[in-house]
Amino acid sequence: MKALLLRLEPLIWLLFGQGILIGTILLTGWLLVVGVLLPLGIVGTGADEALSYRRIYLLASTPVGRLVILALVALPLWKGAHHIRHLFIDHGGADHDAPIALSLYAIATAGSLAAIVAVIRL
Amino acid sequence: MSLGTKKFVITRFDPDRDTEPRTEEYEIPVQSDWKVLDAINFIKDEIDGSLSYRWSCRMAVCGSCGMMVNGEPKLTCKTALSSYGDSLTIEPLANFPTIRDLVVEMDGFMDKFQKVKPWIIQAKERAVEEGPQHQSPEDLQAFKQFSMCINCMLCYSACPVVATDPEFLGPAAIALGHRYNMDSRDEGADERNAVFRGEGTIFSCSYANECSEVCPKNVDPAGAVNQAKFNAVVDWASSFVVKREKE
Amino acid sequence: MSRAAHPDAMSPAEPGRTRTAPPQKPASWPSHPRMRVYTLFGWTGVLYLLIGFGLLETAWSLGQGEVVWDAKLASFSHPAYVAFHLLCLVSVVFVAVRFFRLFPKSQPARIGPAKPPPRPVILAGLYAVWLGVTALFVAILSGAIFS
Repeated sequence: MKALLLRLEPLIWLLFGQGILIGTILLTGWLLVVGVLLPLGIVGTGADEALSYRRIYLLASTPVGRLVILALVALPLWKGAHHIRHLFIDHGGADHDAPIALSLYAIATAGSLAAIVAVIRL
Repeated sequence: MSLGTKKFVITRFDPDRDTEPRTEEYEIPVQSDWKVLDAINFIKDEIDGSLSYRWSCRMAVCGSCGMMVNGEPKLTCKTALSSYGDSLTIEPLANFPTIRDLVVEMDGFMDKFQKVKPWIIQAKERAVEEGPQHQSPEDLQAFKQFSMCINCMLCYSACPVVATDPEFLGPAAIALGHRYNMDSRDEGADERNAVFRGEGTIFSCSYANECSEVCPKNVDPAGAVNQAKFNAVVDWASSFVVKREKE
Repeated sequence: MSRAAHPDAMSPAEPGRTRTAPPQKPASWPSHPRMRVYTLFGWTGVLYLLIGFGLLETAWSLGQGEVVWDAKLASFSHPAYVAFHLLCLVSVVFVAVRFFRLFPKSQPARIGPAKPPPRPVILAGLYAVWLGVTALFVAILSGAIFS
């Protein structure tokens, strides 16, 4: 298990690094919209409004839109999994690192695969 | 000029007599220009000759006098007493086993150093007739900062990963390995990157940046470790494209 | 609270001749301001995992039709969801600021012939991209562009 983890570390770190970089950059705009503008009623989901199903579906189903959604879902998952793993290590879990890490990365992998399916479905 | 008196609470540990470390308090007159090491030397010279600790150059180049001062790793020859209040707590370097009093076991540190092969690796030894190997100022800048390490081990005391992961290579060792990887004379990057990606993997570093915060020589080991991660990923990716000898 | 570090932390391959006291973590942890920031940075991982799965659910609902989509977005106005999103927003900004501060020095001096830009340029570039992409995202999602 440890050997497998060591072989995957460079890839995991790359995904985690992009999770912080690209994921964070993309998340800010999304959170501003759904966390501030939407509850305040500045944007809405009505038929002629910015977040209407028709409009968002059109935007999301473009190649760029699908890629952005994929990045928005998958990259934060890798950042999250990696940091939670480090929380375990920092709190005395180093001796059980391999199974904890592989479980967390399996969760991130499952979420990423589900994201791929979700954007293909659009 | 006298600064009055200060109290020093110092960790003591004699493996022949103590089951675990204890503390002793010393109240001594101090001078305004003293460093912490001056106070410790005064205690040993005038009050308690049994106090054990490492020190040497008194000018922050030998790396011997690292200790915890009020919970933070410091070179005691470089740390002014006037920065502190009436009471100081002096402990051996954190995250290391303690041999006696303020003297820590360094062999674990030396073991990690050896693993990163901290020497110029060349496929063929250069003949004398070939003359010196020239490097431009730019070549030098690529690694010079990381060659300034004095092996004081403060970074190991500051690192949260060192505290919890015994196999992690640690800041200074990785910085030194990176120093050689970035040296234009060296041809051993493949070997070192295999070490970096193996047991004690550099990817355990969580970029707390504490090592760079405490480094007395501005080596910036955190920068080195994270540059090394980047290089190791490039090396890993290129290993799928370029066939090389089995690691 | 125990200050014990891992019992094998920095232990040598060959044991020494005398008994050693076990390694201790620094006394200044975890209350030291820098360590608090570092610990918080790690804990944002929990929020990122949650927001990632939340976004997965939202993307999934987009593929399930208008009714599901409208319901999903309506749920975002629930106070709990608003609080969650705002907490995530604060976390994301915190992560960005700390990460951008540390990112420039993590670029090697060169990879082969390629050299990175000077560190202040990298830092300015990161903030420019962050603010620019955020503005673009908000403009598109709010209908200011592609209405």
